Amino acid sequence: MLGAEVTFDVALPKVVWGWLVSTNMWAKSIATGSFLLGLYFIKKYPEKDAFFRKWVPILGLIFIGITLLVTVLDLHHMFRFWKIFLFAHFTSAVTLGAWVVSGFVIVLLISFWSWVTGNKKLFDKVMLPGFVLAFFSTIYTAGIMGESTARELWVFPAEMIQMLLSATLAGSAAYLLLMTIYKVEMEEVKRELGYILIGSAFLSGMMYLGEILFARMHSEFSHRAVEILTFGSLAPMFWLGIFLTFIIPIILVGIANEKKKYEYALLGSISALVGLWLVKHSWLLAPQMLPLS
Amino acid sequence: MRLGFLVDLSRCMGCMACAVSCKAENDVPLHSWRLRVKYIDQGEFPEVKRHFVPLRCNHCENAPCERICPVSALHYLPNGIVNVDHNRCIGCASCMMACPYNAIYIDPITNSADKCTYCAHRIEVGMMPACVVACPTHANIFGDLDDPESEISKYLKEHKDVMVRKPELNTKPKHFYVRGSTVALDPLASERPEGYTLFTEVKFLDHIGGH
Repeated sequence: MLGAEVTFDVALPKVVWGWLVSTNMWAKSIATGSFLLGLYFIKKYPEKDAFFRKWVPILGLIFIGITLLVTVLDLHHMFRFWKIFLFAHFTSAVTLGAWVVSGFVIVLLISFWSWVTGNKKLFDKVMLPGFVLAFFSTIYTAGIMGESTARELWVFPAEMIQMLLSATLAGSAAYLLLMTIYKVEMEEVKRELGYILIGSAFLSGMMYLGEILFARMHSEFSHRAVEILTFGSLAPMFWLGIFLTFIIPIILVGIANEKKKYEYALLGSISALVGLWLVKHSWLLAPQMLPLS
Repeated sequence: MRLGFLVDLSRCMGCMACAVSCKAENDVPLHSWRLRVKYIDQGEFPEVKRHFVPLRCNHCENAPCERICPVSALHYLPNGIVNVDHNRCIGCASCMMACPYNAIYIDPITNSADKCTYCAHRIEVGMMPACVVACPTHANIFGDLDDPESEISKYLKEHKDVMVRKPELNTKPKHFYVRGSTVALDPLASERPEGYTLFTEVKFLDHIGGH
């Protein structure tokens, strides 16, 4: 007997989670990353904290707002969203995420009020719970991907580390972008942000490389998904994303830090943010390209 | 009580009576399927073989869809059936991402997740699922896995070649196949070229219902 071929079947749906979910992950990386890095710089440079006390809540609220908007838009019953709180099912990472992000939004609103009123102590009081909530807001999507049993490409610990690295990459890129646009004179902070961006890009890129190489060995399904991602229909998007997220920013931000020419960091940051969406989107689509039954 | 399903693939002749009766019984809309029969042709003339594979929800004991559903719209009934509460579903499609058997769809009319419930409404009043009644060759065998005297339990005891789909995922399906093969049960063991083949077009839909 030779090969086998499906000769009769019904039309199957392909992409269940599309660009709205990719945008959710991308915007959440910026929101939580800018919060976590903001706390770090406020603690490290208390004398220069004004910039971060202003932009932590603004960036956080804008991008967590985008996250929540696309999340609700992606629901087939968007006006039933409240049921996630009333009929919460806590084995689901979706439920845990909804509760954690709600807590994170409250912390962001408090930090915004703290900046508006100039009451620094108010923000200081919510820093610790804010850190915990931002951390878990970053990684809960990895839990959802881990619970997506059908999509064997996504493995929980690896996705969790990728989410954290995406957050530090996106957060540092967002701050570098703002600092260059508003010509903020904090050279050592810019240099440190540059190193965080380079380090995150390098580690995240290495993780993707490792996942691509080793996912082939996990199962036939992940092998096929990686084939689609690296050589198939998603390859142009994926490789462009890898180039823009990891290679270009490392070079440009490296030059910026070395020669103190921060306009390079601006370009590197834009490249990182655009590329991050492409990488996340192609990684989301790849395991949806294969038939499950 | 643990209700389960068994399909004797040597008896299935691909007549689709099960799929049609399921559609009629449960008002399943166009482009949506709770139960479907897939044809797979294997080999090259003159050595050819056609496999018919009825595919439905596996009602797993360790159901990924039940675990990931944020509002418990997917839930277990005491008889082991994984049921859906359409009024509670928020349409997040997490269950579709979690189900390794592609058994769940978003109903384009109700916008809620739906799937085979082993005809829970019929079982409640002592009737067999519609597909079991419609099958002309009695390829579908349904019953209580906990009852050693049930037909399904006896069938499972008598046959050594019992298979389930994707056992490596540890979902513990309660839907078994007898006289099956990897080609029939593993979707990656056969090519799935898009385009017109036997009676219809094998294709992927770009969108899922109602969105």
